[in-house]
Amino acid sequence: MAVRTIDVRERVMARNDELAALVRQRLQASGVPSFNLVSSPGSGKTSLLERTLEVLGEELGIAVMTGDVQTQNDADRLARRTERLVQAVVTGGACHLDAAQVTAALEAIDLERTRLLFIENVGNLVCPASWDLGETAKIVVLSVTEGEDKPLKYPKMFRMARYAVLNKIDLLPHLDFDLDLAVRYAREINPELRFFFTSARSGEGLDEWFQFLRAEARAPAHR
Amino acid sequence: MHELSLALEVCRIAEASAAPHPARAVRAVAVEVGKDAGIELENFRFCLEALLSDVPFAGARAELTTLPGTDLRVTHLEVDDGRPDD
Repeated sequence: MAVRTIDVRERVMARNDELAALVRQRLQASGVPSFNLVSSPGSGKTSLLERTLEVLGEELGIAVMTGDVQTQNDADRLARRTERLVQAVVTGGACHLDAAQVTAALEAIDLERTRLLFIENVGNLVCPASWDLGETAKIVVLSVTEGEDKPLKYPKMFRMARYAVLNKIDLLPHLDFDLDLAVRYAREINPELRFFFTSARSGEGLDEWFQFLRAEARAPAHR
Repeated sequence: MHELSLALEVCRIAEASAAPHPARAVRAVAVEVGKDAGIELENFRFCLEALLSDVPFAGARAELTTLPGTDLRVTHLEVDDGRPDD
């Protein structure tokens, strides 16, 4: 038997990065900004999106694709808040979304009618940081029921994000969470981070978040 | 946590790279793992060996080399072309 060597020299992320570049191209050509929402499980990504869809879903023509490891529960929850299609992506065990899944989910979205796209990633502060999805920016959600040092523990995610939402601030009076410390830690990792302080439950801080989204969304088509 | 996804992609690359060659079997898959690639090496080895134990690889070896940097790269394959030794 003759054993031969075949040269490969291929980066394992190469295919994902190619697909992400195509997604980015397509969204840019349509003028649709896209935000990849990342956080640990239970920080309130879905609740924040529910409130956002209620108020801005129609106005901004928001499309959503939402990733879950095993259920469509988040997609079902969000679908109740909007007339528009919510694309569920069930990863079947994988701990993150990848660009191939986003490519497939994008097929079902009418970009002509879309001015803003949210991609709700799987709740996980580690793996989603490594997969480019072709998004405009990552938004990391951190809730005040977590530790202030999450940015130090998961630096890659906070480095990759352009925006941070500190959520559940209605609970601050009941907790020992030091908001300033959390912000300081996050800025140590990423001085450029822009913060929002919200409670998806009470509505506190959401006005600024909504203003931001209105400014970011594609301008409405002239008729 | 994402080591299995990466190992699956390594197998996809290995299969695609071996396909154009008249190889009977893949004997080894060589992978370079960057120390800062965010990969837990032993977990990754476990996933890759488990995948390589199944078709179409049927027991190919995983040859992992660590080096500085953030890349994860399939460097080469060893294949058995089924011909008698020269």
